[in-house]
Amino acid sequence: MAGELKYAEAIRRALADELATDPAVVVMGQEIEALGGVFTATQGLAERFEGRVLDTPLAESATVGWAIGAAMAGLRPVVEIMFMDFITTAMDQIVNGAAKLRYMSGGQVAVPIVIRTPSDAGTGHGPQHSQHLETWFAHVPGLVVAMPSTVADAYWMLRHSIQDDNPVVFVESKYLYFRESGEIGATGAADHPYAARIARSGRSVTIVTAGRMVAESLAAAESLATEGIDCEVVDLRFIWPYDREALTESVERTNRLIVVHEAVGDFGWGGEVCSWAASELFYSLDAPIRRLAAPRAPIPFASHLESVIVPDRSAIESAVRDLARH
Amino acid sequence: MTNPSEMPVGDTPSDRLKLYETMVRIRELETGIESLHYGGRMHGSFHSSMGQEAAAAGVIGCLRPTDLVTSTHRGHGHAIAKGMRPTTIIAELLGLQQGSSGGKGGSMHLHDVACGFLGENAIVAGGVPWAAGAAWASRRLGKDLVAVSFVGDGGVAQGVLAETLRMARTWGTPLLVACENNHLAHSMPVERTFGEPGSIAGWAAGFGMRAEYVAGDDVFAVHRMAAEMIDEVRATGRAAFVEIEAWRVRAHSLNDPDYRYLAKDLGKSYLQTHDPIANAERDLPLTEADATAIRERIAREIAEAIDAAFEGQAAPVRSATTGVYSEAFEQEGRLRGW
Repeated sequence: MAGELKYAEAIRRALADELATDPAVVVMGQEIEALGGVFTATQGLAERFEGRVLDTPLAESATVGWAIGAAMAGLRPVVEIMFMDFITTAMDQIVNGAAKLRYMSGGQVAVPIVIRTPSDAGTGHGPQHSQHLETWFAHVPGLVVAMPSTVADAYWMLRHSIQDDNPVVFVESKYLYFRESGEIGATGAADHPYAARIARSGRSVTIVTAGRMVAESLAAAESLATEGIDCEVVDLRFIWPYDREALTESVERTNRLIVVHEAVGDFGWGGEVCSWAASELFYSLDAPIRRLAAPRAPIPFASHLESVIVPDRSAIESAVRDLARH
Repeated sequence: MTNPSEMPVGDTPSDRLKLYETMVRIRELETGIESLHYGGRMHGSFHSSMGQEAAAAGVIGCLRPTDLVTSTHRGHGHAIAKGMRPTTIIAELLGLQQGSSGGKGGSMHLHDVACGFLGENAIVAGGVPWAAGAAWASRRLGKDLVAVSFVGDGGVAQGVLAETLRMARTWGTPLLVACENNHLAHSMPVERTFGEPGSIAGWAAGFGMRAEYVAGDDVFAVHRMAAEMIDEVRATGRAAFVEIEAWRVRAHSLNDPDYRYLAKDLGKSYLQTHDPIANAERDLPLTEADATAIRERIAREIAEAIDAAFEGQAAPVRSATTGVYSEAFEQEGRLRGW
């Protein structure tokens, strides 16, 4: 189809368009220059934008710190961390540097950097290449956490994040890189930059989710519709800030709420959403709030083991069915 | 043509006197802060740079106002040498609105972008990549500047320093890492981690960059070495490393029970043998009367700065939860209930 892009291509297009429009943008990371990125997100960009798409040594901490310094000096660096699990090696610079510098300098400096990093199970990468860690960053004041689920969002949210004056942890779906196709359209779909998206309208149950789990939730919703359960699927798009207005409106329609995410459930961001909803939407709820997320285990390698850990459409269906019975 | 006011301190007698005065200013500030703490007029953490004044004055004395500096948790001296006003520093330490960060940062988070002081960083060695990246970016943006990043001997054990030196060599950046080897990483003697003074410079040389050692009780030696290295860094755009041996006169921090790991009064004996201020008075030379006059003048200046700082107002309570994100973001959040 004309104009259709893969998710990975949308990321590449967003980087190219930002590099073309803003001379302050530089892209730095491992294997992004000569190789074009292990997921092809930067393929061809080093040739097209000479000296602005740069391979770093295997040194995530210095790379993020370097980007922070470059941002303080007037650039808008985009850092690629090859797999989200590797971000642990740059934690200090993200948490104590990027996130806090505006505050601890009394507003003297801004740190407009984007840290792009792919997560998701489902690709056979095993325990140290698959974990969803977005909750950690959503917990840290000063950071924005983006998690696009569609081709259009991959493109528009990345462009917006690069122009955002706040540091953004941009969690890409490596499961969707080459599976999800779509058009990017002429503008972003959202009413405001951090708005959630109603991926499917419905009246029985609100499923709040993000990233790859949006597609799983939509598939579950189609199947449940045949049973007369009409799900509304809210794609949060941003884990922080999350769109409380959209959640309020949706739950007022459906009176039932379930949060679905791929990250571990215990202390995960779903807990935050549930806690907020329990406090603020209590009188709109007809049933206890539910959470569906990964159990407390790393992501195993073997596919049949991995499927025990990661929620899928059938797990979502059965959780929603149970909730709809209330 | 370079504006004369932007020229770094050179080696004329008046330049040498300036280095001395900077050291005295740092010493007076640190002793002033100590007194405020002991008098119960200031709270919180404080890491004195007393005894290390030659590193701050000597290295930063080679820089232009537009050059950049990042610092450590023990960074008041670097801030003063880079041109931060003592009143702003004291106000910050008092948690006042007039402080450099409006009271949000405190002693370990002095920032003054207008002076090219890109901040202290209380995470050991955490500021080194900031300096490297800021200098690299500034070069790309057409600015002819260099950055100096201070780090302690403790910081040399941090992975991020090794990573940054590796990346500096890979990418090139006009950076001088100035390592103040004050013999102690909190209570860990440097001899246990690195060996004799000079061994840290030897370690840094392994990254394929120029790395030198200089004794930090002689501000003029530090200044000569730093001037030569900074000229080279500026000309080549390549990073370099200097180890400056210094002496931590005070405990790690104000409330550190350092008698558990140090002989009592060791700090005092350091000052008897390695005081960079006394050494500068001898080497300039200054008569006792001249030295006393300078010290008294600067002591008055700091006392006035402290008085002026106390005129400030407490940071407004609402500032505790604002300025975390950009103004536009926070406005959107207020509107939408984040």
